[in-house]
Amino acid sequence: MDNLIEIKNVSFSFDAEGEKRDIIKNLNLNIERSSFTVILGHNGSGKSTLAKLMNGLYKPTNADGSVLVDGIDTKDETSEIEIRRKVGMVFQNPDNQLVASIVEDDVAFGPENLGLTPEKSRERVDEALKAVGMYEFRKSTPHHLSGGQKQRIAIAGIIAMRPECLILDEPTAMLDPKGRAEVMSIITRFNRENGMTIVLITHFMEEAELADRVVLLSDGEIISDGTPKEIFSDIKTLKSTGLDVPQTTELLYQLKKNGIDIDTDAISVKETAARISAALHLEES
Amino acid sequence: MASIIEVKNLSYTYDGDAQIVKDAIHDISFSIEKGEIVGIIGHTGSGKSTLIQHLNGLLKPASGEVLLNGKNIWDDPKNIKDIRFKVGLVFQYPEYQLFEETVFADIAFGPKNMGLTGDELKNRVESICDTVGIKREYFDKSPFDLSGGEKRRVAIAGVMAMKPEVLILDEPIAGLDPKGRHEVSAMVKNYREKFGATVIIVSHNMEDMASLADKLIVLSGGKLVMYDTAYNVFSKGDMLSEIGLSVPVVTKVLKLINEKNNDIRTDIFTLKDAVEYLCALSAGGKNA
Repeated sequence: MDNLIEIKNVSFSFDAEGEKRDIIKNLNLNIERSSFTVILGHNGSGKSTLAKLMNGLYKPTNADGSVLVDGIDTKDETSEIEIRRKVGMVFQNPDNQLVASIVEDDVAFGPENLGLTPEKSRERVDEALKAVGMYEFRKSTPHHLSGGQKQRIAIAGIIAMRPECLILDEPTAMLDPKGRAEVMSIITRFNRENGMTIVLITHFMEEAELADRVVLLSDGEIISDGTPKEIFSDIKTLKSTGLDVPQTTELLYQLKKNGIDIDTDAISVKETAARISAALHLEES
Repeated sequence: MASIIEVKNLSYTYDGDAQIVKDAIHDISFSIEKGEIVGIIGHTGSGKSTLIQHLNGLLKPASGEVLLNGKNIWDDPKNIKDIRFKVGLVFQYPEYQLFEETVFADIAFGPKNMGLTGDELKNRVESICDTVGIKREYFDKSPFDLSGGEKRRVAIAGVMAMKPEVLILDEPIAGLDPKGRHEVSAMVKNYREKFGATVIIVSHNMEDMASLADKLIVLSGGKLVMYDTAYNVFSKGDMLSEIGLSVPVVTKVLKLINEKNNDIRTDIFTLKDAVEYLCALSAGGKNA
């Protein structure tokens, strides 16, 4: 297998008022190149810390733990820039990520820091803005845009550095349903069409449906790892960690509990409707 | 029943920057009855935050008025501080505003500002914490040692401790995990039941709105486009999608089944109702 990111025996802890807190506990995880992985976990499960370990913002605090990005150890400080260039990060609140007063200047911030010529940088900015569907807003002021639009600009700023991998830490938490759909469709497209490796951290179970793989994190440890269908069919484990299944799967699960003979392995609205239609002997659409 | 809040022909534009038209509100009128839970939904920039900031006097109407218990809140501008005690506003991500050394001190901050001291203050904090399920053993902890969901509950309890007649929450469940979402929803319901308070919630989460709100105010482009029971609002799915919103996911499932089976109901909006309906349907007759 071709792994872009390899996390080996990684622990991450810090001292809070003299008390040692273990956030990540001896964790192993490989992220395959061009895959789409979703990391789910309750608040405080260590999801965001794990994300920051993946692009070297945090380093493992144990001596024998290592994170390799395309073979480079994140503890190697001379490779810091190379790692950040390979693995770009998008955070929850777009307002904290936008720095310039004009959209295209904001997107140009990264490429210019990479030392590209103004012409090259221009090319990257235009390309990135087109990729997120915000080219027509290039002369606008970011704070006049909607939340979804701002998050797309933040993504463009990262894409303009042409990373191999995009890590997104709850990028849709502050967006309305339309904004969420916009951001999700862009992420999915980058993965399917450009083969970009995606690691998405989210609380929205419906978003996990789009991934190849779901990793369930609880108290700094991986407790499940599988396809979305495998993970969501194990409702007990999910609930025991303070998570929920999507309302679609929950609906099927509750129907089954009420004695209806129905398959519960669906996540999307379409599949759920099909399972119900089949169980109730209705016409399938 | 008497209206507790009445908004009449309220308009507001942000002056100085002619480009900021998106958060403006235009000629909004509605009234809310005591004890109701009213949801406000609308896409980003539809004017939701601008509207709620008028209800406790953080913003002053450019035209129109806001009445609390029949009285214009700006009748005596000197009393606007009292209005803010009666109409409590919980901002988005309120846990970012925690600052005291202990959970107790943080929750006590609001009532202390209202002039409560000693036992009265202590009783107030304890009674709110009992209502919303914050245990005594948390009182001496630093708020910064709590989990995200716990911090959020402490921050909300801090506003509830002022016992506002009207509690307004802006995206109270955004960014929380499912467990945290259930806990915050439960604490809001308990507060309403115990104190007979009126609650106004701004949210993007249609599933939670369907199970929490009695009525919904729908904003689009700064205008009030619908104000009706949650049932009637979610019955107009096409209109909601036109303005960038959606119906709850169980309704989407039923609508899809309905495409080929015209007698399947599509006016069901909560998981609980959907389960009941489909079970009845399975047990016999499609008219169940």
